[in-house]
Amino acid sequence: MLSVENLSISFHTDEGRITPVQGVSFSVEAGKTLGLVGESGSGKSISTKALMRLLPGNASLSPETRIAYRARDGKTVEIHKIKPGSSSLRHLRGGEIGMIFQEPMASFSPVYTVGNQMMEAIRLHRNCGKREARELAVEMLDKVGISNPADRVDQYPHEMSGGMRQRAMIALALSAGPALLIADEPTTALDVTIQAQVLDLMRGLQRDLGMAMIFITHDLGVIAQIAHEVAVMYLGTIVERGETRDVIRNPKHPYTQGLLKAIPSLETLHDRLSPVPGDIPSPTERPSGCPFHTRCPDFINGICDVNTPVETSPLPGRSVRCWLHNGADSGRSAA
Amino acid sequence: MLRFTLERLAGMVVTMALVSVMVFIIMEIPPGDYADRYAFRKFSGTGVSVTEADVAAIRSDLGLDKPMVLRYFDWIGGIVLRGDFGQAFAFETSVVKVIGDKAWLTLGILLTTLLLTYAISVPVGIYAAVKRGSAVDYGLTIFSYLGLALPNFLLALILLYFANKWFGADIGGLFSTRYQDAPWSLGKFWDLVKHLWLPAVVLAWSAVAYQIQTMRATMSDELNRLSVTAARARGVPEGKLLLKYPARLAINPIVSTIGFDVNRIFSELPIVAAVLGLTELGELLLKAYLDLDMYVAGAILLLLTFIIVFMNFVSDLLLAWLDPRIKLGA
Repeated sequence: MLSVENLSISFHTDEGRITPVQGVSFSVEAGKTLGLVGESGSGKSISTKALMRLLPGNASLSPETRIAYRARDGKTVEIHKIKPGSSSLRHLRGGEIGMIFQEPMASFSPVYTVGNQMMEAIRLHRNCGKREARELAVEMLDKVGISNPADRVDQYPHEMSGGMRQRAMIALALSAGPALLIADEPTTALDVTIQAQVLDLMRGLQRDLGMAMIFITHDLGVIAQIAHEVAVMYLGTIVERGETRDVIRNPKHPYTQGLLKAIPSLETLHDRLSPVPGDIPSPTERPSGCPFHTRCPDFINGICDVNTPVETSPLPGRSVRCWLHNGADSGRSAA
Repeated sequence: MLRFTLERLAGMVVTMALVSVMVFIIMEIPPGDYADRYAFRKFSGTGVSVTEADVAAIRSDLGLDKPMVLRYFDWIGGIVLRGDFGQAFAFETSVVKVIGDKAWLTLGILLTTLLLTYAISVPVGIYAAVKRGSAVDYGLTIFSYLGLALPNFLLALILLYFANKWFGADIGGLFSTRYQDAPWSLGKFWDLVKHLWLPAVVLAWSAVAYQIQTMRATMSDELNRLSVTAARARGVPEGKLLLKYPARLAINPIVSTIGFDVNRIFSELPIVAAVLGLTELGELLLKAYLDLDMYVAGAILLLLTFIIVFMNFVSDLLLAWLDPRIKLGA
């Protein structure tokens, strides 16, 4: 239902042009969840912001970018061509694609009640009156497991606890009935126990409402629980893509392998944690060749730092951008 | 909201009571009183020698011989119960008669100036923040510096010159000669409006320049908030979004400084009034002080502080309405 090809985003800053996202391609199928994983600064958030044209004014999409979205009425919307301020963009935002954010407190306006903001979304996208919108808001709050929804609907965000606010945020995003939900680290700011509840809730809601989801996180453990497919991002490119289960069992890219090793586990309590060495370079000083070569344990001198790897497919249903796997598949990546 | 309003109202009453005591003490501080001044005026140069007893007689006539505390309660009691601000000795009539019209005109200039200030600076500030970094934004910034740098009286003179040249406006005053002493009528009111814009523009000038920058800065901050992106992500139309989310919070520092703006207008008013030939309270206040005409001075001081305190009260209510977290005490 959503296909993204060659998404590149540039920012014009005082220090010049930086391109934090380069040539990203992925697709999302109806009813399925795509997980986007990566460290902070890998460009996963801005990639999804581009899907809703929420990038700031100094950002621009490259001319090769293609973002196609098939709406519920069967029409295909070319998101990269859509005009800012047009009614089709307003319909897309919220009505077709919903979004929830990492900071539930900051994503609500503090000066309006939760119900006010929900009813606003409902009335923008569903043709209904005030009373009906309110009933729907209460119903949605109930659905996300908030007790006393009829009272809570009139509360301000600061009167709720963190977990409850994130539930309310989910209810807000879902109240307009989107077919695709983008969740930008929705559990990162929450306690572990609440994190599990919210994940559970989102999985349940996805099943009940039959919507697709893009789930952004830096936590592969969370991905394992919720995503059907996963795309691992590093410095603005997708380095590995595939079915979640396969990727976690048999990671091909050294970065994915490093991320998996870095997850703390109870079984290996006495071992030291093994982080991915080094820091993520700044997007202004993008390394030449493979962007990961500065931190890669399997770095091949003279190749990785010179040539940018192309996407290859070492296994069915898997794509990797790495010179380690290019040899095995040289027939397709001769370019 | 009702409870909040009542609390603030009580606060205002207490403040005004304290202010009235202070005003009364300030009135007492200058050496001598109106009895001395009266005796001096009446008999100086006539060759009549004035004794202490004569002055004391005048003093007792004017009621100035009673103890201070008693006079304070007489004074404040008269104001609160009967709206009687006492005697204007030098004018040999009541304070209300002396101040009356001038007070209303001062209030008119003040409110017009405030309305003009906010009606221009808030929308322009929002626009500058939205178009941040554009040519319009830079132009407005240059205007702001000009506005802050240009002295009021100079601006008043320039505007007066052009108003007269282009529109044939009268030089100075708040009324045309035709309406100067006429009773209030629709015609006189319209005449007042035609004269009021000039002092209002002069007085609002620097405040507009300043508040545009305030609004632009806070609006720029608010625009970067996640809640604004979140609202945009649910498809709220841009115009409505700007007013409902960032602008409502960005206006906060402007609303909370209404009291300061009133204060600033009062302090700039006398010099502007002098240039434009307006009758307002500042000039009268100075004269009343020189004459030791204490009840006139007291009434003016009390009125001015009351307006400032009242505008602060209004600003508190507006703030609570803008941001419900304030009255919820969170």
